[in-house]
Amino acid sequence: MVKLFGPTKSSPRLERLHGLSLFVNLTAGELRIVDGLLHERSYLPGEVIFDEGEEGQAIYIIASGEVLISRQEHSEPSANHAGSDLPRRRQGDTGRVAQLGPGTFFGELALLDNSPRSAQARAASACQLIVFFRDDFVGLLDTHARIASKISRQLACHLGARMRAMAQAMGNHQHAV
Amino acid sequence: MSQAINGAPDSHAHHGSGPVVWVAIIATTCLLLLVFQKVLWLVVPFLLALILYYFLFPLVRLLVFRGMSRDAASSTVILAFLALLSLSVVSLTPKIASQATHWQDTVDRYVQGGTQLLDASLRSLERHWSTLERAKLADTVAKRLSNGAGNISDHLEPVALGIMAWTPSLLLAPFLAFFFLRDGRRFKRFLGAAVPNAFFEKTLYLLHEIDRTARAYFQGLINLTILDTLTLAAGLWLLGIPGPLMLGLICAVLAWVPYVGSILGGLLVVLVAATDFPADPSMAYWAIALFVLVRLLDDFLYMPMTIGKSLELHPLITVLMIFAGGAVAGISGLMLVLPVLGVVMVIGETIGIIVSDPRLMARHHHARELRQRQASADL
Repeated sequence: MVKLFGPTKSSPRLERLHGLSLFVNLTAGELRIVDGLLHERSYLPGEVIFDEGEEGQAIYIIASGEVLISRQEHSEPSANHAGSDLPRRRQGDTGRVAQLGPGTFFGELALLDNSPRSAQARAASACQLIVFFRDDFVGLLDTHARIASKISRQLACHLGARMRAMAQAMGNHQHAV
Repeated sequence: MSQAINGAPDSHAHHGSGPVVWVAIIATTCLLLLVFQKVLWLVVPFLLALILYYFLFPLVRLLVFRGMSRDAASSTVILAFLALLSLSVVSLTPKIASQATHWQDTVDRYVQGGTQLLDASLRSLERHWSTLERAKLADTVAKRLSNGAGNISDHLEPVALGIMAWTPSLLLAPFLAFFFLRDGRRFKRFLGAAVPNAFFEKTLYLLHEIDRTARAYFQGLINLTILDTLTLAAGLWLLGIPGPLMLGLICAVLAWVPYVGSILGGLLVVLVAATDFPADPSMAYWAIALFVLVRLLDDFLYMPMTIGKSLELHPLITVLMIFAGGAVAGISGLMLVLPVLGVVMVIGETIGIIVSDPRLMARHHHARELRQRQASADL
């Protein structure tokens, strides 16, 4: 019985999961429970992972490779561009937001609600992604609240850092203006 | 290609399933019911295994949370369940054997009570309508019943043989339940891995919805049984019929088979009322009235509220599909129509959304081109 309920042995796969920022606070036993909920997908360079405006169902964690996050430009062409040698940006062109590498995650807002994706994600190189489905996360909140709260905390830290970076960027922009 | 990749966000908007999708859903449901009718020996243990799975799953989850592996937790829970079942059978068998003769007498008594009630009712009708009297309806029915009924033990034999024939098939249920408990998540991942990237999120959502639908259906069935039991028990108690709760529970469980089960339950209540109150035939009529009322409540209120609601089906579709299931596949169709419709509905709606979404299809074609290009790069 002691052996049945004893501490969980770590495996290379669990150690790899432990290295991901979202799961860094989880114990080996907790990681094994979460591991049972994760899916793995592989994408080729240029393949779309999800589109801007699509209903989000899952968060993606990059195990290997790089992912490009881009957003459609909705602004009207500026009059200043007239006569310029620079190529004009048309409405609907995509603007690069970020390029993410291994260990990072994206599409995290889908874990919180089913609002549309705010940007497009596309594989920048051949990549392996770990996918965590929202309904599995909601199930964790009900059944394994401790695990869910640890993941939620990491998620909150990540969102907080992003908000701070955005506020700083806006402050710099206003200062420059 | 660029335009396709930067597709308009409008293309992601979800529209409700159209009439074509709904016709396909209903046709597929009817076709599946016809097929299931042919393989009932597999469908029945599969359904029982699903009920067992949803019943035992919280225990497995608890053990996994306590640190046990999923394999060990599934084995422990199923073994404990089988041990409990064996213990119950072993302890109840001597009691059942000793009571068998008494039960046979009781069944005989209630059948006689029912026959007497039928005879009294027909003779009363004959007194009012001379046509029936001239046809000697009461005598004809009594003669046919005495010819057809025979001894109660004559009817027990085919029932016992039927149980023996079904036993090996029913023994499949705990084994199936064990594999559902142990490998359910692996199966979900296996299915998800076989789906192209473009449809992956939608497929995950579909699998979750099927799980939710099945869980909701079986929970709805339990709620329906409780509501039926309480309503019948209250009515029988008001009428003064003995053992109202037990009778109500038996009738509610029989009602799992729509209509046919209800008729059997109604007959049971009338038999009890006619036998226990032989001098007061109105009691049997009150019991019939109560039963009709409960059936109406069940079909038009309770069932749409519990099972229909759990499947998010319109009450009208629920009722119509019950009739369609019965017409297509008899009793098995009546029993299976709602869970089958629930699952087919989720699959049909999701496929409808995927196929009618040009953006998803374009992404899928793009990914296929990329893979083809990669595979033939050095050719």
